[in-house]
Amino acid sequence: MQKILIVEDDEKLRKELEIFFTNNGYEVESLKTFDNTIQDILNINSNLILLDINLPGVDGEYICREIRKCSDVPIIIITSKDNEMDELLSINYGADHYITKPFNIQILLAKTASLMRRSNMEKVQDKINAGDFVVNLSNSTIIKNDKKIDLTKNELKILKYLTEQRGKIVSREEIMEYLWDSESFVDDNTLSVNMTRLRNKLEELGLKELIETKRGQGYILK
Amino acid sequence: MSFRDFIKDKIWQILLIIFILMTIEIFLLAYSYGIFIKIYIPVAILSCYFIAILIEYIRKKIYYENIYNLLNKLEEKYLITELIQSPNFSEGEILREILKQVDKSMLENVNKYRYLQEDYKEYIEMWIHEIKIPIATSKMIIANNKNEITKSIDEELDKVEDYVEQALYYARSNTVDKDYYIKKSKLKDIVNECIKKNKSVLINEKISINLYDLDLCVNTDSKWIIFILNQIIQNSIKYRKKEIASEIEIYAEQRKENIVLYIKDNGIGIKEGEITRVFEKGFTGTNGRISNKKSTGIGLYLCKKLCDKLGIAIELNSVQDKGTEVKLIFPNSSYTDMK
Repeated sequence: MQKILIVEDDEKLRKELEIFFTNNGYEVESLKTFDNTIQDILNINSNLILLDINLPGVDGEYICREIRKCSDVPIIIITSKDNEMDELLSINYGADHYITKPFNIQILLAKTASLMRRSNMEKVQDKINAGDFVVNLSNSTIIKNDKKIDLTKNELKILKYLTEQRGKIVSREEIMEYLWDSESFVDDNTLSVNMTRLRNKLEELGLKELIETKRGQGYILK
Repeated sequence: MSFRDFIKDKIWQILLIIFILMTIEIFLLAYSYGIFIKIYIPVAILSCYFIAILIEYIRKKIYYENIYNLLNKLEEKYLITELIQSPNFSEGEILREILKQVDKSMLENVNKYRYLQEDYKEYIEMWIHEIKIPIATSKMIIANNKNEITKSIDEELDKVEDYVEQALYYARSNTVDKDYYIKKSKLKDIVNECIKKNKSVLINEKISINLYDLDLCVNTDSKWIIFILNQIIQNSIKYRKKEIASEIEIYAEQRKENIVLYIKDNGIGIKEGEITRVFEKGFTGTNGRISNKKSTGIGLYLCKKLCDKLGIAIELNSVQDKGTEVKLIFPNSSYTDMK
């Protein structure tokens, strides 16, 4: 399991971040004291560091530089300072991302996941095997027993999201927020059209009624 | 200083000279000097005296006129003391000395307030960084406990965040120093960021977003532009028309001299007579008063102020009942030209 190290001095925020990342399938460790921060960070062998730059005693930017001297671990800086200068400095000191408080949690999660993937040189997961069908993310197709159908960008995103949430009811708003976070700003009608087309394509593959509509609640991928 | 005024100031001197001349003349008449001497002495004294005051007049006139000319050319008039030449008569020296002292004391006074304001701004910035931590924590708690109630709290927190942001930029807009950092930024990234920021409201209120032609770069501080754009988008959301499907259209146009970013909505628009006043501080207008829009009259005022600082022009057109269009005009200059 991938390990995230949280370096944040606000105790409550730290706890909530721990819960959040644990719920999302990561192993989490965090620093509780900040007397020997740099050494502590280096001693914990993590896959990614979430670093607050306003720590008691030491400057986060300094920590960042020191870590970079002996490690290439991805670093996401979390801060409440939001000016371009600080951002630029942090990036120069070797941070990979700079996120300002209060942050969009989904974006934090997405950035974490993408950094992890890249740093581990893990081949980007380009296929989701859902058992009865396979979604190929790299060329945007859906495959079932040698039969292949192309999906549009939005259809692919919707199917990916539904597959990830399989068995759960997903509301239209949730799907839209997911699409918006990845910068497809679709409206309600477009979503309906996309859903219909996606269903038709699934039907062509003989996957009729795979996506079920729950009236007033949303959709569910069975 | 006219010659007449100058003579007026000298009136006692002149009267005394005339009195003395008259007494001399009386003595001269009493003795049997030649007619030539009787005329020459008073004429010589009188003309010498007049030449003397004429020279004095010309000297003073040149000096004061010089000061007036400088004063008219100067934009910041208090700097005049640095430019006044040392005069060659004592009255002018007194004036210069007084001006210098007055200037110095005024500068000290101004500086006192400048420091106070700077101090206050620093406090506000610090306070804002502090308040963002509990907001972030609350948002994390909400993310870990998703339900209808927390979702509603989340929406309120978004509002708190917006107000906090506004206070930060208000503090920044009032200082003379440059808080911004200019770099090349993609308009697309800026716009996307703003839309994502407002996604919950936009999705909930079923407002459609239409973005195109945004693959242009501008030299600016993207954080400031995001804030400005956010105010404009929030206005579009606030003043949408409930009866029809709302739409916000954002696109850019590359012109010869500049890049223009358009933000168009199909909302309730602004009354014709009020358009020129929308950038005034505290102006809420008819729209601000109707229903429960809770206008503060700060949003657009701040936009204008921040745009001025960044060297961006902001224009607003609107047709009542049809919609509003805001234009942000970015100068097309290169990085180095910006200074």
